[in-house]
Amino acid sequence: MPSKKTLHIESSGQICIYCGACVGICPLNCIYLDETRITFDEKVCTRCEICVRACPVGAIAIG
Amino acid sequence: MQNLKTDVLVIGAGPAGSMTAKWAAKHGARTLMIEKRQEIGSPVRCGEGMSKAWLPDVGIKPSSRWINVEVEGARIYSPSEKVLEINEKHAGNEVGYVVERDSFDKQLAIDAANEGVDVMLKTAAISLLRDDGHVVGVTAKQSGQTFEIRAPITIGADGFESQVGRWAGLPTNLQLRDMDSCIQYRMTNVDSDVRYCDFYLGKVAPGGYVWIFPKDEGLANVGIGVQVSKLHNPADVKMYLDTWIAHHPGYAKGKKIDMVGGGVSISPPMKQTVANGILLVGDAARMIDPLTGGGIANGCIAGKIAGEVAARAVTANDTSKEFLQAYEKGWRAKLEDKLYRNWLAKEKLVTLPDETFDKIIDALQDVKLEKLTVLNILKAVHTKYPEVTKEFEAFL
Repeated sequence: MPSKKTLHIESSGQICIYCGACVGICPLNCIYLDETRITFDEKVCTRCEICVRACPVGAIAIG
Repeated sequence: MQNLKTDVLVIGAGPAGSMTAKWAAKHGARTLMIEKRQEIGSPVRCGEGMSKAWLPDVGIKPSSRWINVEVEGARIYSPSEKVLEINEKHAGNEVGYVVERDSFDKQLAIDAANEGVDVMLKTAAISLLRDDGHVVGVTAKQSGQTFEIRAPITIGADGFESQVGRWAGLPTNLQLRDMDSCIQYRMTNVDSDVRYCDFYLGKVAPGGYVWIFPKDEGLANVGIGVQVSKLHNPADVKMYLDTWIAHHPGYAKGKKIDMVGGGVSISPPMKQTVANGILLVGDAARMIDPLTGGGIANGCIAGKIAGEVAARAVTANDTSKEFLQAYEKGWRAKLEDKLYRNWLAKEKLVTLPDETFDKIIDALQDVKLEKLTVLNILKAVHTKYPEVTKEFEAFL
């Protein structure tokens, strides 16, 4: 059941090191890495938070 | 942007992609390799250590353009920092290289291009084209423009974060326990030893290890991988590495000049890497060694086979998954037993408490390890601690 929470990916480069760890683990294949920018498909994302755990630097949060 | 046609389309210009493309072209196929980044090999996402025995088999010539250091051996540290040192120098061998990965990747792409492969940068595949149950190319995007690239054979070499495999319905999804999340600093003014790659095991890096790969005197890649299922809070991976560094004065005094991250699959080998008109290679096919985390050698070895089979499929005008079984069989013959054995070994090792690592490393002190291979080390563990290797002793 998708929750109403929002996924925040800090991908301006402040925290994100655009390594692609979240892209590879996303069970719905809805995160994308374009060179140095991460985007995700909000309609597909179920806020499962797996990417939050996989991110080595803490650039992803749910709130 | 005009629609394009080619015989073999390779998605991703990492080592596996370039190797596949080169060998496809060598066998006569018109080959196009697309890369979504503007610069092949950069940004680097790699520890940059690799073995070297496999290089001649796939036609890669060692070059000072991409080799930083030739290492003589490895030192494996237990949690209480007993050390198992394996040095092959006395046997006249150097075991491997620490490399400049961006230069290495570029060189393999140059080799492919010189073999006749066309390369397109800043070009991303965004979906697969299908015809009658066969993949027949991709919809691609370059500089904001969408166009089609049609090819009887498409090869997914799009790395750890592969999407091509999932689009094709191939089971590349990973569980939390099947992945290590990694981070690494390049540090200067550290006490690394250019003769050795160092590995630190135990709860300093749950389900993974800390590595020190020397790039030059006093300069090293200092990195860590931690199993995602063992992570609890955001940025835990970085915390583990920072903690390790803080506890090691030889590194705490160092200065960070670079930081990279990435995911590494530590899963068992995939059951299927081909479908009609498509095959996967390298990290995209989960060919990373689940024990060492190394992916370059396996990607290149499989890439050579992928290129040959792809070219043959084009010539035979048969791109069915039945024909592509030649690739499936070919890479499995070379890699599968080892991948499976190392996966079983890893499954066991991630359950061991620090005391057991200490005991094992201690017990191995009096074993003469001539050659630095995972198999050799596991065999030695088997002689001393058969209960640790029970689940995979058939592979030793």
